[in-house]
Amino acid sequence: MNGAFFVQLALSTAAVGVLVGIAAWAKISRPAGPLDEPKARALLEQEFPGRKVDAIWIAADGCGAMAKSGGLALVICRVGDGFACRQIPWPQAVAATFKDGRLRVNLGDAAAPTAIISLPSWPPENLKGDLAA
Amino acid sequence: MITPAFDPVTLATPFFIVTVILEIVLARVRMADARYETNDTAVSLFMGLGSSVAGALTAGLVFAATIWVWQHRIFTIPMTAIWAWAAIFLLEDLTYYAFHRLSHERRVWWAAHVNHHSSQHYNLSTALRQTWTGGVAGTWALWLPLAFFGFPPAMIAIQKGISLVYQYWIHTEAIKKLPRWFEAVFNTPSHHRVHHARNAIYLDRNYAGILIVWDRLFGTFQPELDAEPCRYGLVHNLATFNLLRVAFHEWIGIAADIARAPRHVLGWVFGPPGWSPDGSRDTSASLKQRASVRVSGHARPTVLTPQTEEA
Repeated sequence: MNGAFFVQLALSTAAVGVLVGIAAWAKISRPAGPLDEPKARALLEQEFPGRKVDAIWIAADGCGAMAKSGGLALVICRVGDGFACRQIPWPQAVAATFKDGRLRVNLGDAAAPTAIISLPSWPPENLKGDLAA
Repeated sequence: MITPAFDPVTLATPFFIVTVILEIVLARVRMADARYETNDTAVSLFMGLGSSVAGALTAGLVFAATIWVWQHRIFTIPMTAIWAWAAIFLLEDLTYYAFHRLSHERRVWWAAHVNHHSSQHYNLSTALRQTWTGGVAGTWALWLPLAFFGFPPAMIAIQKGISLVYQYWIHTEAIKKLPRWFEAVFNTPSHHRVHHARNAIYLDRNYAGILIVWDRLFGTFQPELDAEPCRYGLVHNLATFNLLRVAFHEWIGIAADIARAPRHVLGWVFGPPGWSPDGSRDTSASLKQRASVRVSGHARPTVLTPQTEEA
């Protein structure tokens, strides 16, 4: 690494700043509206094809969702103008921290460490019979 | 003969900047099909910047190894001969195909390459989302046989740079299909969109650098299908824009798996991405298999053509 390398690096960093600024100015991200139940179900079908969804809870701000599928929880969280999904054991989802209307789910994945989902309450009170298992 | 007279990537950097701006502006005025999300763009560009720093840190080792091998070469190939440039064009491109295929089909090398695929967008900034750990992964060793054969290190470096610059412009949705003869021979935006797609039928396809003929030759070619629009990113998309997580998440995953079940270390490291001892995780092969059964009720051909798609 010589002086020229550091000059090039500094110029490249400045260029990155300019490009990010232009991308922000352009406002050309995907038009991703808030998540509703049909959208969340469609997304889950795409991510976990053929998986039966027993129950689903959509975040109040439309930025995520939690679904129960047998012994698994299917988690959707917003990333930029897209979404990422993960599955975790249902008891892990039930035991997630809930505070001030925000459910903080530890996904145990370096690529998706935590999902934060705005819900009125947690764990859900309407789970009965098999759903509660 | 040893150090290149010019670096194609450095020379092309202003072109990279201008064309990213052009793509954004054309998309803004609706003259081009492109989507840019601010955080995603920042991650792509900072990964590119970090990659050049990481590359500089390991450049000495790569350079020394290449020189040492070249000093023990079989032939002496002149840098001034046109046939030598034609030969290195083909051999370097074949080497790239092997490198790229290995980088997708074995987890330890996927760990170094995965970040290039981690954007849910496909635009020119995605091309710059490069690895920070390629030097550590050691895939540069795949180019050493070229030096052993007798190609001068400078010639290898220049051809590698030309390949990288070629692959930049194909990271776009703004260009749909090119003339049929071009699509038949060269890697194109359409072919490379397939490569970046996470749809099951598109996984582990179109590894080409410049010439798509390698994929056609080795059975890994998949055309882009109108009925199957590309969805970009990873099978399990990232839920973070943290640069360190983007760069190292798969390495962390490998380490965690080895810590959990050390006796399967070879599988965790050298198995295909998604491999697990009990088969509870998804590999590209299992995803393709499941998707084909779901669609048709039986296994379909691994490569779909527009004809088989309609059939």
